[in-house]
Amino acid sequence: MAVIEVENVTKVYKIGAQETHALRGVTVSFEKGEFTALVGPSGSGKTTLLQIIGCLDKPTSGVVRIQGQDVTRLNANGRAELRKKLIGFVFQFFALIPGLTAYENVEMPLLLNGEKPAARRERVKYLLEAVGLGDRMNHRPDQLSGGEQQRVAVARALAARPLVVLADEPTANLDTANGQQIMEIMQRLNRETGVTFLFATHDPRVVAHARRVVQLRDGKLVEENGAVLAADRREAAPAH
Amino acid sequence: MSQLWKIAYRDLLRSRRRSLLTLLAMVIGVTLLIFMSALYKGVFDGSLKMAIQLQTSHLQVRAESYDADQVSLLWQDLLSDPAGLTRQIEAIPGVQAAAPVLWANGLVLSGEESVGVTVNGVEVQSPLLDPIRQAVVAGTMPAPDDRSGVLIGARLAELLDLHVGDTVVLVVSTSNQTTDQAPFTIRGLYDTGVGQYDEVNVYLPLAKAQAFTQVGERASAIRVLLDDRENAEAFAAAFRAPGLTVLTWRDLNRLILDSVDASLVFTNLLNLIVLGMVAVVIANTLLMSVFERTREMGILAALGMKAHQIMGMFLLEAAMLGAAGVAGGLLVGGSIVYYYSKVGLEFPQAIIESKASNMITYGRLLYTSFAPEQAFMLTLLALVIVLVVAVYPAWFAARLEPVQALHGK
Repeated sequence: MAVIEVENVTKVYKIGAQETHALRGVTVSFEKGEFTALVGPSGSGKTTLLQIIGCLDKPTSGVVRIQGQDVTRLNANGRAELRKKLIGFVFQFFALIPGLTAYENVEMPLLLNGEKPAARRERVKYLLEAVGLGDRMNHRPDQLSGGEQQRVAVARALAARPLVVLADEPTANLDTANGQQIMEIMQRLNRETGVTFLFATHDPRVVAHARRVVQLRDGKLVEENGAVLAADRREAAPAH
Repeated sequence: MSQLWKIAYRDLLRSRRRSLLTLLAMVIGVTLLIFMSALYKGVFDGSLKMAIQLQTSHLQVRAESYDADQVSLLWQDLLSDPAGLTRQIEAIPGVQAAAPVLWANGLVLSGEESVGVTVNGVEVQSPLLDPIRQAVVAGTMPAPDDRSGVLIGARLAELLDLHVGDTVVLVVSTSNQTTDQAPFTIRGLYDTGVGQYDEVNVYLPLAKAQAFTQVGERASAIRVLLDDRENAEAFAAAFRAPGLTVLTWRDLNRLILDSVDASLVFTNLLNLIVLGMVAVVIANTLLMSVFERTREMGILAALGMKAHQIMGMFLLEAAMLGAAGVAGGLLVGGSIVYYYSKVGLEFPQAIIESKASNMITYGRLLYTSFAPEQAFMLTLLALVIVLVVAVYPAWFAARLEPVQALHGK
């Protein structure tokens, strides 16, 4: 069953009189437990699509359903509630809260979800150990390497037991070894928890980890697992 | 809600320097407010106390026709049997002391110099004269039967270059509306710390003053000290009789009491300025905090924090800072006020006198007096102002779009 359904989604940014079409009618769905790479060059619309699926932004038109619920109809509070309960984020720039320790950063979604202290402790420890940071819990972001910070971010994304983790270029700011390690951790956690992972990247080494690859170009879905999509073929075919 | 408290508390702790600076501003502001209110209260309480001790007492019984402004010595304006009336008043429970006093306008002549004075004919052994007796800095008080001795202020002595044992000529108005003069030996000098009082008041034994001014055994008034000044109105009502006027310390110190009311405008303005400064510092800190933490707001929004929770978090931070600042300010301000209420605050006499009107008499030291009601109102106001000024930064943070905030925009 599809946990995320994207139907004919467009996104137009207006800057003054100029319109930029970030997404041009994207339709795609993702099943529970998928480990999918969203690929495409810069400006192809990967980040915009992730933000719309993650309820951080609203589409100009089209429908996004998460577990069958049309999230485009939700107001800001409804979207925030949905993010809190169902979605975990991993960002390119790590996005940890400075000044809070690794433990406190991972604990934050649990605090927002009103989890009890004992449950929070257990969950945070489990996740930080799962990403190999059991001995770095009390370190602040500025005391952690980039790879360690991103591992904390992965642990935080999974803290509230989300339905889906959306990762935007999770390895872009990491060296090869750390990037590899992050992908392996995400892969393992995907297997162990059954959480759907959807990550945007243009790094072929990262794409190699994905079980499914969806390609975007100029705001449109053009290829899936190497197969050029019908709409794209029509566009690519010479005029008769 | 408890989660928000925890997040806000954690945020204050991790931004220690910013939190401490804001806290410091609050503590200084509240300390200033408390100290200023205590200083004003101390000045007016002290001034009132001094006026009561030196001049007015708690009650004055006078003849109904007595005109204090004219310092009348006409027989019909004076009390005819002050000794008898004093005995009656002294016998009443709740009366600490009572004594007749005779006032007359006069001049002290010394060589070519002369200074206008008020001659106070007093029962020198009365407890009512304790403040003057304690203020004697050279020589002694004249004895009750001293017919040629006078006590003058050290300030007057300084002006006329007089010393204990010197002779001066005292000129007084008399009851038959002429003047009389006689030489007097300076038996002692007193210094109350209120220069403008010491300069214009001289003391004679009552009997000598009565004889000198030709009023027989009459007196201008009977000064009464009560155990509790708050009972003055009730005693005044009880003492009233045909032909007599009874004035309370409130009636007699109307100028000081009115000055307290009038100065409220000024002190409130000062308080507002201090509160305004605190408000600007807090608003600035919180706004800076929002700008610095824009991306963090985006992260929190991405994690599912709602706009009203973000707003609540900022308001809670402000409330915690405000509460801690108020508590710290109360502690620091309270301690300073307590210290100066015991030790007193020394101001150069010239400054004190330049601020003093004829009626408002400050001593050499200004003692602070904690004003609990005003301190409560001011600290409450400080707390409310902190919360009010925090609303805009909090609202600003709450309305950030998650996507833009994540990019620090």
